[in-house]
Amino acid sequence: MVDLDPLPFVSYETLTRVREALTPSPRTVRNLRKELRQSGLAKLGIVLIVGVVLMAALAPVLAPHNPTNQNLDENQLPPLGFDRKTTNTTTEIVNGSISIVNQTTWVNSTVEHPLGTDSLGRDMLSRTIYGARTSLIVGVVGTSIAALFGVTVGLLAGYYSGRIDDVLMRSADVMLAFPSLVLAVALVGLIGTASLRVPDPFVLVGLTPNMPETFTLPGTVIIVVGLVNWVWFARVARSEALSVRSEEYIKAARSVGASDRHIVLRHVLPNSITPIIVLATIQVAAIILLESALAFLGFSGTTLSWGFDIAQGRQYLSTSWWIATVPGLAIVVTVVGINLVGDWLRDALDPGIEGEGGGP
Amino acid sequence: MSLGRFLLKRAVQGVFVVWGVVTVVFLLRFITPGDPVTFIAPLDASQELRRQIAVELGLNRPIYVQYFDYLWGLVWGDMGYSYISNTEASTRVFARLPATIELAVAATVVAVVLSIPLGVVSATRRHQPVDYGATLFSLVGISTPNFWLGIMLVLVLAVQFGFFPTSQRGIGFLPAIGQTLAQFDVGFVVDRLLELRLFDVWDYLTELPVTTWLAHITLPAITLGTYFTALITRLTRSGMLEELGEAYIRASRAKGLPESLVRYKHALRNTLAPVVTVVGLQLGTLIGGAVITEAVFAWPGLGTELIRAINLRDWPIIQGSLIVIGAGFVIVNTLVDALQAYLDPRVVAD
Repeated sequence: MVDLDPLPFVSYETLTRVREALTPSPRTVRNLRKELRQSGLAKLGIVLIVGVVLMAALAPVLAPHNPTNQNLDENQLPPLGFDRKTTNTTTEIVNGSISIVNQTTWVNSTVEHPLGTDSLGRDMLSRTIYGARTSLIVGVVGTSIAALFGVTVGLLAGYYSGRIDDVLMRSADVMLAFPSLVLAVALVGLIGTASLRVPDPFVLVGLTPNMPETFTLPGTVIIVVGLVNWVWFARVARSEALSVRSEEYIKAARSVGASDRHIVLRHVLPNSITPIIVLATIQVAAIILLESALAFLGFSGTTLSWGFDIAQGRQYLSTSWWIATVPGLAIVVTVVGINLVGDWLRDALDPGIEGEGGGP
Repeated sequence: MSLGRFLLKRAVQGVFVVWGVVTVVFLLRFITPGDPVTFIAPLDASQELRRQIAVELGLNRPIYVQYFDYLWGLVWGDMGYSYISNTEASTRVFARLPATIELAVAATVVAVVLSIPLGVVSATRRHQPVDYGATLFSLVGISTPNFWLGIMLVLVLAVQFGFFPTSQRGIGFLPAIGQTLAQFDVGFVVDRLLELRLFDVWDYLTELPVTTWLAHITLPAITLGTYFTALITRLTRSGMLEELGEAYIRASRAKGLPESLVRYKHALRNTLAPVVTVVGLQLGTLIGGAVITEAVFAWPGLGTELIRAINLRDWPIIQGSLIVIGAGFVIVNTLVDALQAYLDPRVVAD
């Protein structure tokens, strides 16, 4: 029991303990299975998430076209089953007098572009598939940053309480005074949108030579969405830590001389992990929505984002409704999936909420 | 603790949080890259001119001097002068505030009016079509990006059918009411009604200023309010289900109270207490949350002003709007706490 580990904070042993803390107990696994069997919505959520993850991972293979290739001859093509009416106005000189001729033509959809094309002739299906990458990476990495920072702060505040707790929680109050969108807009807008180009493995090994060689990660956005959401994790971790710190087993561990770090990682964290996991799931959804909002407002480091496409489609609403509609539906489907899985985890992991209350 | 002491403590806490908000907002200028002077000065400005601008704006002084100067100014409602338009920042910010508050309140009204009945009906008719409908609505409602919802509403109801204007505010609420009262001609309307010239009446009513106001605010209010509606529907439904399972409900039924009384007097009343808290808290976040809705509808509120100022690095406006958003949240929050403490004495005891 006695912790004599002299190594710095992130030692092998620390990592092992964090892993142990994150490993679900057999009872938890049983609850998850049971809840999944009973709930059709949970199954739907998993199917949706797996679909979006596959879309993001295999984007270069699945996308029929390069999502950044412009083809002005095929701009604003409608999706399959729809037509677009255009009116060409030409001025002609007939028998010496000028006449203006309005000619209505119909632009038909093509099988090449099942979801149509945008104003620059880029394939909407391919852009939607690639957009999943941006959303998921920002959602997952942003949530990880928020969770790492927030949980550390929250556990420390709750475990030590007193002065540290006061300072940390008052700064959390200040953070909470700003809606996360406002803070994110201000930070990204003022810092600027730095981005990181990552080589695409599929193109690197020559599997899909026509696809973009690099994938652009919106660096500032990822960090900012993590920083503006840490408070939620800090609050949950803190209240969990507060509730277990006076338990007998913590006192017992302390009385045999276990270090604070040992107690926090071995006892406090494992006992606080359930609500943190549920929160993390919901936060991925919230951050995906936040990223799309930032991209919509023009604060993004990449153009392959659903929010960005909605913003550019907005200018063509009266002629080409699909440019703004398609990426929005993609966001809704993704976020619905994550929320369904979040509900499933909450129902299965939280013994406090049995079903949905009683009722007649 | 007495109610008075509790409220005083909350108020003092609120003041400290606002002070924290002001400090964070002030420091924002120093932790983000870029010198404000470069945004103001012409590209070919001489070193001398740049220095002169810095001196004029007081940017050459030590940080702590600028900080205390700014704090002292705020006490008197002075947020400095806009770098771009040379008007007082506070004038610009407070000129935009009513439009945002109006939008936030309208969204709250939409949310409360729709969500509480929906949640109650959904809980009392569990596993019936209306319950599934409400559950589906709240799931999709919390999963839809509201700016996209706004664009879809514009696409269908404004562009396709022309029921509503696509953007802008038209007229403020108070001027709309004032002008309508001033010009409304009851005799005219009654005469037309008696002559059964209903189209004339319709035309007359649609041209009233208050109708213009309503037409402009409907889509933005729905856009901003949908997430909120979905959230409260969920909350009301689960709260109501929980209450209906309590022992006192069984007791009320056992002693023969009518079911409507049991549901709407006993269960609903207890469900609403936490709902009121959430509604209050959400109202505070809506003031800032309106940023993106305002961008979709070109609504002349605080959010559009903030984004404009960020793009131009108009620091006094950036700081002013952020402080108003943050302080607004803290004030609404404190008021909700006070209201709750007044309604439920147990809060004070904790």
